[in-house]
Amino acid sequence: MGILIASQILNGLATGMLYALVGVGLTLVLGMLNIPNFAHGVLYAFGAYFTYTIVQLTGSFYLAVLVGPLFVVLIGFVLESQGIRRLYSAHHDYQLLFLFAVALILQEAIILIWGPVGFSVLPPKALSGIVDLGFVIYPAYRLALIVVTTLITIALWLFLTRTSIGAIVRAGMENREMIAVLGTDINRVFMWTFGLGAYLAGLAGALASPIIGLTPSMGGDMLPISFVIVVIAGLGSILGAIASGVLIGIAQSLTSIWWPEASNAVIYVLMGLMIVLRPQGLFGTR
Amino acid sequence: MSVALQCKGVSKHFDGVKAVSNVSFDVQQGALHTVIGPNGAGKTTLFNCITSEYAPTSGEVLFEGNRISGRRPHELPGFGVSRSFQRTSIFANLTVAQNVWLSAFRQFAGNKIEIVRSADSHPEVAETITRTLEEVGLARYADAPAIELAHGDQRLLDFAIALAPKPRLLLLDEPTAGLSRSDTQRVMHLIEGLKGRYTIVLIEHKMDVVMRISDRITVMYFGEVLAEGTTDEIRANPRVREAYLGRRA
Amino acid sequence: MNRLFNLPTLITIVAMIILLPIVQRPVVAAEVLTLGIAALALNLLLGYTGLLSFGHAMFFGIGAYCTGILAVKYDFSAFTAIPIAVVVTAVVSWLIGLVCVRRSGLYFIMITLAFNQMFYFIAYSWTSMTGGEDGLPGLRRPSLIADQWSFYIFTVIVFLITVVLMKRFVDSPTGRILQAIRDNPARAAATGYDVERYKLIAFVASGLFTGLAGAIFAFVFEIVPIDKIHLLFSGDILFMTLIGGSASFIGPLIGAAFYTWLQETVSLYWDRWPMVLGIVFALVVLFFRTGIVGMAEVFGQKVFGKRVVKTASAETTEAHR
Repeated sequence: MGILIASQILNGLATGMLYALVGVGLTLVLGMLNIPNFAHGVLYAFGAYFTYTIVQLTGSFYLAVLVGPLFVVLIGFVLESQGIRRLYSAHHDYQLLFLFAVALILQEAIILIWGPVGFSVLPPKALSGIVDLGFVIYPAYRLALIVVTTLITIALWLFLTRTSIGAIVRAGMENREMIAVLGTDINRVFMWTFGLGAYLAGLAGALASPIIGLTPSMGGDMLPISFVIVVIAGLGSILGAIASGVLIGIAQSLTSIWWPEASNAVIYVLMGLMIVLRPQGLFGTR
Repeated sequence: MSVALQCKGVSKHFDGVKAVSNVSFDVQQGALHTVIGPNGAGKTTLFNCITSEYAPTSGEVLFEGNRISGRRPHELPGFGVSRSFQRTSIFANLTVAQNVWLSAFRQFAGNKIEIVRSADSHPEVAETITRTLEEVGLARYADAPAIELAHGDQRLLDFAIALAPKPRLLLLDEPTAGLSRSDTQRVMHLIEGLKGRYTIVLIEHKMDVVMRISDRITVMYFGEVLAEGTTDEIRANPRVREAYLGRRA
Repeated sequence: MNRLFNLPTLITIVAMIILLPIVQRPVVAAEVLTLGIAALALNLLLGYTGLLSFGHAMFFGIGAYCTGILAVKYDFSAFTAIPIAVVVTAVVSWLIGLVCVRRSGLYFIMITLAFNQMFYFIAYSWTSMTGGEDGLPGLRRPSLIADQWSFYIFTVIVFLITVVLMKRFVDSPTGRILQAIRDNPARAAATGYDVERYKLIAFVASGLFTGLAGAIFAFVFEIVPIDKIHLLFSGDILFMTLIGGSASFIGPLIGAAFYTWLQETVSLYWDRWPMVLGIVFALVVLFFRTGIVGMAEVFGQKVFGKRVVKTASAETTEAHR
């Protein structure tokens, strides 16, 4: 039992860190543009599918993880500059509904391009074995995943808190009008922030591809989870998104030990509890 | 004449910034009391403490002996308190009459929830609406969508909503802000007409407007009360002249 | 005395009821009316209160599954199962509403979507009750309304009662207060209304009627499919409301008819109906936000000239976004 729990905690950590990346991406867009990005899930899906294709074409998983998310960023740029930007003067709700419509279109596009049947992606040779950690034997790829996502998260944190661009992004999340006043081109900041959010979603999808099955609906399945992450974290909190992602990742895996059917639904119960007991979320500022 | 409104040692701090410090004053029933001060003096924050938009960090506000501070804003009309807004705050997609209906109905029905009878099926409410619109001079626009009114008329509508429930305390936040000279005159004329019948607290920073109509004035400066008294007393007060009036008076 | 419905609305309702079963099979006409109820119910929240809910499929689904479970597993008659299902949905919407309405618009949208997904998972995994992925078949219409036409008439009756109740609700003081909350929540509060309490009322009313729509729907095709509790269906209901026109009372019914027609037509030629839906949805959001009713009004003004300020205040329950 101990081994089971230990490996499930590690599993939860692995998925949790992926959730963290997705959650931070959503938080950035939410904070800056003030809308929940309904296309965030499908961007995650594209990250996975691009990875699949690049692996098919080149045989290199590493190349896919490096390059795949960049294509997702392109999609993000197009969405922001050609789509949402036209709706900035309209009510918030319409921007959100536009993104939902786009998510629908893109999910269908996945079916058109890659077909309705699911795929799997194999982890790279070097990481396809298992590792003996002493207290448990654990798949190498998942271990690497935990390490890599943690490094990425740290890098992201440093970027946002130590660089001037990061400062602009964080300032924009607090107060959009301010950065316009300071002379930065607000449209560019929006576009790049949206792109960064898309990058994180796509990267999470790419890294997730060897451990989850790719299906056209994987984006639609991720979207509600990303919302739960943000609600539990507290709107606008990047640290919260990381903590919240890990929390629900572990909650899911632990629940699946004792009550597998409920492991999907448990995160919503957690969300409900959080709203009632601590409405501002873990680290909420608003 | 009895004391209607009492502001007792109201302070409001935000994360170490003392926006309002220990402000106290009393307002007699039927009097018009103005709070003035330059921008940043804390007038709006004080106003928000009185209207329960903010809870004071310390101190309280009493009206007719009842505490009206530290509550939820929607409880105030139940105490006979009504407010207007600095930036005209109306219901754009409803008609002028429907805008006024909202406060008139609240007065009439209290906290009751009605979901079956038509909103316009109460003759007493309709009468209140007509009377109020006539008082502010908007009767001919009763069925116009509020959004189609001219800027100055929208401000009058804002007042009409505040006046309709016949409040005993009227709180007006910079009623002439952003208005043209002629609209400012219309508004001030209206307010003067209300004196005596209502207890009024006004926030303003247009000096000439204030001097003409106020019974008493509280001057604020950097969150504190600089001076308080009748218009003559304030006009003659050297500290006020120094800080605020300067060459004008 | 004020009429409940203005002339265009009345004509639309009557025309729909008469034309639908002629243009479509009666069973599809019944489907349109139930979807219409759901879209009208959503609009109580969206057009009238200004709240965007992305979770109405959960109420539709709860109404449908409750009815289905009572009818199939416990042998309840339709005429008892449906009212019970509506009550259950009302209670659930009240509980969810308590959690949702105290939070801002952004939270509200995300939380409704999240809870929708939760109920989807419940329906998916509780296979003994719900049939899981395959849905819940086996409902049988009562013999009184078993054939297509009598069932359609039954649906029409339920529809008309519902529409009258909803219109009275939006014309009532509560309805007007909700519109005020939509336009200016801070002022509505300052005027003395407990905004959260009213939002909760709107949420329950909306959820309740959506549950009724689901409950009737269960008998339309005598099955409860799982996709009707999925959040994509929440998107469909939103689509119907928007494309019909959320600024009018009856717009959503037109939207439901349009949605059904579009889906039937496209599905004949192409599998990828959801993509067409997405494209049309995006176009509506970008260019046709006022919906069919909005466009009809503009057209009507061009042809008949701009209306002078309306004089009968009963007519002006129209709201504009």
